[in-house]
Amino acid sequence: MSTTVGEHWNALVTASLLGTDRRDPPVPPDGPLADLVADAVRSTPSSRMLADVAACTVARRSGVRPRPPVGRLAPPDADGRPVVPPAAARRWRQVVTTWPVLEDEWLRTVAERGWRLPPDVLVGLLRRHRTDHARRAIAMDLAGPAGPWIVDHLPELAAPAGSVGPGPEAAVPAVSPELAPYLGADTGAIVTAIAGGMAEGAFGPPHRAVLINFVSRCRPEALAPLAEALRTVDSSGVGLAQLLADLAATRHQMLNELTP
Amino acid sequence: MTAERWTIEQVIALASTPARFAAAEAVAVPSRWSGLGADGRTAWGRCRGSGREPYDTMVDHAEVVWRCSCPSRSQPCKHALALLAMWVRGQVPDVTAPATVARWAAGHLRRDAPSGAAPPPADATSAPDDDRAAPAGERDRARDERLARLQEGLLDLDRWLDDRLRTGLADPALARYATWDTLAARLVDARAGGLANRVRRLAGIVGTRLEWHEQLLAELGVLHLLAQAGQRVGELPPSLADTVAIACGWQVRQADVLAGVPDTDRWVVAGRSDTREDRIEVRRVWLHGAHTGRWAMVLSFAAYRQSLDDSLAAGTAIDADLHRYPGLGPRALVGAIHAVHDGPCAPPATTVAGACDGIGAALAAEPWSEHVAVTVRAAVTRAGGGWVLADDTGSLPLVPGTPGLPVVLAASAGDPVDVTIEWTTDGAVPLTVHLADRALDVGPGPTRPS
Repeated sequence: MSTTVGEHWNALVTASLLGTDRRDPPVPPDGPLADLVADAVRSTPSSRMLADVAACTVARRSGVRPRPPVGRLAPPDADGRPVVPPAAARRWRQVVTTWPVLEDEWLRTVAERGWRLPPDVLVGLLRRHRTDHARRAIAMDLAGPAGPWIVDHLPELAAPAGSVGPGPEAAVPAVSPELAPYLGADTGAIVTAIAGGMAEGAFGPPHRAVLINFVSRCRPEALAPLAEALRTVDSSGVGLAQLLADLAATRHQMLNELTP
Repeated sequence: MTAERWTIEQVIALASTPARFAAAEAVAVPSRWSGLGADGRTAWGRCRGSGREPYDTMVDHAEVVWRCSCPSRSQPCKHALALLAMWVRGQVPDVTAPATVARWAAGHLRRDAPSGAAPPPADATSAPDDDRAAPAGERDRARDERLARLQEGLLDLDRWLDDRLRTGLADPALARYATWDTLAARLVDARAGGLANRVRRLAGIVGTRLEWHEQLLAELGVLHLLAQAGQRVGELPPSLADTVAIACGWQVRQADVLAGVPDTDRWVVAGRSDTREDRIEVRRVWLHGAHTGRWAMVLSFAAYRQSLDDSLAAGTAIDADLHRYPGLGPRALVGAIHAVHDGPCAPPATTVAGACDGIGAALAAEPWSEHVAVTVRAAVTRAGGGWVLADDTGSLPLVPGTPGLPVVLAASAGDPVDVTIEWTTDGAVPLTVHLADRALDVGPGPTRPS
């Protein structure tokens, strides 16, 4: 006769494979289990075994016990840099889903201002840029000692085999020659050129890509006034203006959130 | 009587199976319909189907009665469900009912019994609302009939389970989905939707892993327990009887739940877990009462590719009235919200041994529970080829391949960290990592952060 619930359960599993038509069910160990099985409504071997299985399952599940203690992993080397603030981490998630053109600037700013990546962004970046050498290298730099540590423990976060090596620099969004002079211009000139141009119909949907590139590269001081001006544009290009206003506002907030 | 606008969950719950709702979704496209309209109690329209003539469909969403000229024997048919889904989404214009619709609505109201076979549940465990307008005697009779039908279904289930143990789990019939689907369909007919869902999930266990016989046997044992308890529900203590009835699929109206005494507290949103059952997205949000220390769980549903309710974000808290479903389980509805706290807020964390005690107590009260939430302070480490949460009191296995592992591991980095987990028969699934300045939502599902 089996002596523990665990051993009895193993005997039940074995018997259940063949079925009670071919093998008698095991006898439960003396105690509550045996009493319960004896009370089974029907007296066939299968019904007694069903009651036994139900009781054993409840006993095993509700009697969950901890497994033996296990030693901790050796931690990565200490990293004294402050962690990217929660709002900035949320912004990264927004940026990669709605304005990926801003991701490189987010990474660059985090590096320049000496932040350390929080766990969710670290894992997200390693997954997102598994095969993008340039951005992966930036991510590993920002991760500090935690980067190689996590990759060592979770090889699925490592770069695919054979893809290691220097890669191209992260691409800089191209700006058309007509708009290039405004990149370094003062705020008023930028607002006039972009928002004014939209209002006058000089820009429309065909210019969407170059305008997005421009707003993602223009001087940060111009972003808030530009967003405000674009929101007031009331012309046939109002949809594009709203889109650019959102980009300008997002970039403005992104940079603010990364300012210590 | 003017009905309130339903939620999509109510429409989903009205469908006899998730697959039926999925079929309805395919025709819930206004371009496939003509003559669409709705008023305070009725929606109507003509749907182009496989027949030569479009199907005339009408739904009384106040009394939950429908009529459709399609040949389907399913009640409600996919056209009625589709019409309701479009009405819920505001795709049916408000207009005056044509004479045929008005006559139909007036006609069915004069009759005692509604023509619709099923009532309008507010959600997957919501009760028939056809009771609302019925006189007390009629209501009692309908309830008794439903109970008798449920108990017949439970008896049938128990016989089926008995046969499985008699013939053995090596029976090749268990590898066929039809075996499980047929049983699930019989349980749906018996209004035991909760058990039907469990049976459907069993089809996915067979042959999928080395120890599938063991897992299947345990699940058959749980089904037997519920079938036995459900047949003796009148002999059980009231709260346990309610718990058993709901686990079997007995439906409770949302309005009745909301009419109950509220459990008012500061509820910390401890974690979220999304799963897909057929083409229905199901979200569990676990709340922990800051003062009572009690757990509660809020369920929400969405059709495939529709957004789930994201009003409760992990790491926030609400001062709110929670209305619990009858019985011992954690299921609840959020009532009045008095204040919202952005957080970060976290439930108090316990040790691994304390977590086991909490899980054991919850499972002893409700042995058929498939998920139990607990917050534990432990380090992520390796043991026996898998990952575990460990401290000095012991370790808990993490479900292999759990999606939140990388973030929890990165957050732990060898040290203890507070994690809300959902305990399952396969081990622990991390839902939220609670750090000093933020909560990281790592629960399974589409909103996973990384």
